[in-house]
Amino acid sequence: MRKLVVLIMVLAAHSANADVSFGRLVDAKNDKDNWLTYSGTYRSERYSPLAEINTRNVKNLKVIWAYQMQPSTITGAGLVETTPLVADGIMYITEPPSTVTALDARTGKRLWTWSPELSDEVLHIGFPKVNRGVALLGDAVYVGTLNAHLVSLDAATGALRWDVEVADNKVGFSLTLAPLALERMIIVGVSGAEAGVRGFVDAYDSATGERVWRFNTIPAPGEPGSETWQGDAWQTGGGSTWLTGSYDPDLDLLYWTVGNPAPDWNGDVRPGNNLYSCSLIALDPDTGELKWHFQFTPHDTHDWDANQIPVLFDAEFNGVDRKIVALANRNAFFYLLDRETGEFLHGNEYSKQTWAAGLDESGRPIVLPGTDPTYEGNLIWPSLQGATNWFSPSYNPQTEQFFVSTRLMGSVYYKADVEYEEGMPFLGGGEQAMSGDDAAGAIRALDVLTGKQQWEFMLHSPPWAGVMATAGGLVFGGSNEGNVFALDGQSGKPLWDFQTGGAVRTNPMSFAVDGRQRVVSTGGGTLFVFGLE
Amino acid sequence: MKNGPKFIMPAAFLLSLALPVWGQLPPDELSEADLADGQRLFRVHCARCHGIDGAGGEGSNLARARLKYATDDETLIAVIDDGIAGTGMPAIWSLDDDQTRRVAGYVRTLGKLAIEEMPGDPGRGESIYQAGGGCPACHIIAGHGKGIGPELTDVGDRRGLAYLRTSLVEPADAQSQTMGYQDFLTVRVKSAAESVEGLRINEDAFSIQVRDIGGNVHSFRKDEFVEVEKIFAHSLMPAYGAALSQQDMDDLVSYLMSLRAEK
Repeated sequence: MRKLVVLIMVLAAHSANADVSFGRLVDAKNDKDNWLTYSGTYRSERYSPLAEINTRNVKNLKVIWAYQMQPSTITGAGLVETTPLVADGIMYITEPPSTVTALDARTGKRLWTWSPELSDEVLHIGFPKVNRGVALLGDAVYVGTLNAHLVSLDAATGALRWDVEVADNKVGFSLTLAPLALERMIIVGVSGAEAGVRGFVDAYDSATGERVWRFNTIPAPGEPGSETWQGDAWQTGGGSTWLTGSYDPDLDLLYWTVGNPAPDWNGDVRPGNNLYSCSLIALDPDTGELKWHFQFTPHDTHDWDANQIPVLFDAEFNGVDRKIVALANRNAFFYLLDRETGEFLHGNEYSKQTWAAGLDESGRPIVLPGTDPTYEGNLIWPSLQGATNWFSPSYNPQTEQFFVSTRLMGSVYYKADVEYEEGMPFLGGGEQAMSGDDAAGAIRALDVLTGKQQWEFMLHSPPWAGVMATAGGLVFGGSNEGNVFALDGQSGKPLWDFQTGGAVRTNPMSFAVDGRQRVVSTGGGTLFVFGLE
Repeated sequence: MKNGPKFIMPAAFLLSLALPVWGQLPPDELSEADLADGQRLFRVHCARCHGIDGAGGEGSNLARARLKYATDDETLIAVIDDGIAGTGMPAIWSLDDDQTRRVAGYVRTLGKLAIEEMPGDPGRGESIYQAGGGCPACHIIAGHGKGIGPELTDVGDRRGLAYLRTSLVEPADAQSQTMGYQDFLTVRVKSAAESVEGLRINEDAFSIQVRDIGGNVHSFRKDEFVEVEKIFAHSLMPAYGAALSQQDMDDLVSYLMSLRAEK
């Protein structure tokens, strides 16, 4: 009897102890049963190598379990935007606004939950109360909170290890992104450009919470890039960093995306290109030193931040082997850059836009006259929510296809006079978005090297959910109308769909437990885990 | 945190709270200057989702007489202060109490039409409305009638003379003036089994639900049917221009204009 008790304890201890080493994160693509980092791998492919669920049998997919998120303790529920992580049979999710919950990935039973103490007066200017997920490293779980703290929890119990304030929420900073775990370091970015913050990317020691470095995305006078600002505009210049980046362990480069300049729609108060807003930046992860940058939308006046997922892949491009980063931008152009140097390789329109004649040889947009917001209003495509947004694209390395959730929508953009006031919205205008049957959405498949569209699957309205391709030849996605669906990756033909009863605002992910593949999505405040049996 | 001046009142003063005090005017007693400031604040805080003129975007259309979650001034202020759970409407913490009242007051003006002079006799118009059960066969007023078409109980608050006349003479033209989501969009759906014309009541990428003029609901999987046709600028409502005399039309329009929540 005593032996039996010991055995049970050992088994329980084994299955509840996370051990996600940096080496495992680097090799995540071969760790098929697990989903160890926000976008699946450091390359941010959001691709599952699992193939049990495939084009032939996906029609038999059914709900294995569901988890209803708990009501928020602060006034007003947030929206569910989490990507679950799964390590060795345990699923780690966030619930709005900043709660972390560990679930038994086999049954959906809750193992522990942790919530920060948040005041009812926590600011979140320019975005809903959301959180997109956690990072795992070693035996710890890392989460950013709505009041701009970074927190380390014991992965086995949810007990607090440390809690550091990344920035002051009273001036508009929040953390909504899933942190990125590197070797002994946790990388985070901030939200808050709509409150006129000055953005940055931070690195924290994973063991102590001590800050290792900070890269300010808006340069101060005298720093490189400061020539693209005038006067004091840089101090409230925006450039938030609210989406998880990517990492190349061989080049040892960290790729992070930078948001819009502030104020959003009135560019008169911030003349110049406004670096490094609306850019992709490559940083030395040890020091935070800028290695290169590429600005997609110089002097943006439409809130087309660049906070989309940078996807890394290697290919022969025009006869030369290249390490490439691909990004489908909010501004409706698809870009390929050399990720060693930042050199512009290719760009093309992947969704309707009416603001640029195209891109020049250096990748800079050829902006059409009369496309800025005006006091009277100016109809431009895409809408301020962009041709796509934070939700993830997916790259299938087997077929070299890039899949992107696309918003087919224009907006009447307005400019307004604006003055900065601490902790207040700093917008300088607004929009009248097209709605109803004047707007739509689509899942589009692009040839990754040409950006050429191979197929599209139309959605009833512009989506807020990402996509995931799998080795089973499928592309999973979701809709505002509550559908979770699987498309044939080759043709875009729908093969399976399920009505969740609530809007889908998350990215799909996949894992396996007990040798069976699972696909995860959400609808409203409920998380659904699908499988064949 | 800019939560502005909160009123800390001496206990004795609390007894007099029933009296209006400075800064506590209900939204409909605000001055022109207050409303102009409300409009400015609306453009900064609300227009991103609700549109620069409140006609909706990502957020709902506020240019309506009755707001689903804010049926009176008190609930409107509460919605701005606290947000709406389960929707995209956040709590707007950055407005102080006075600013919130000014924004609420401005929002109230969006859904209100100036009272126009009626062209005819609303009493006669009511009997024309009821005659033969014609209009109540599709519209509800104060609980009576069928709910196929739009509810008309306070249509006078949200629609003016010209619009109401057009909606009777050429209903499709009136419909094409409405902004945003086409709640009353006519669709024709043809499947192998049936062909249905009616109002689209819901749709997603995989299915569509249609209510025919008899009130029957039809549900189609999109992989089952042959064709779905969206008929924009069309209305299931018959045109009454030829059926009514000029006097009858004026009276009927007057009756609809008289249907206001606040007389």
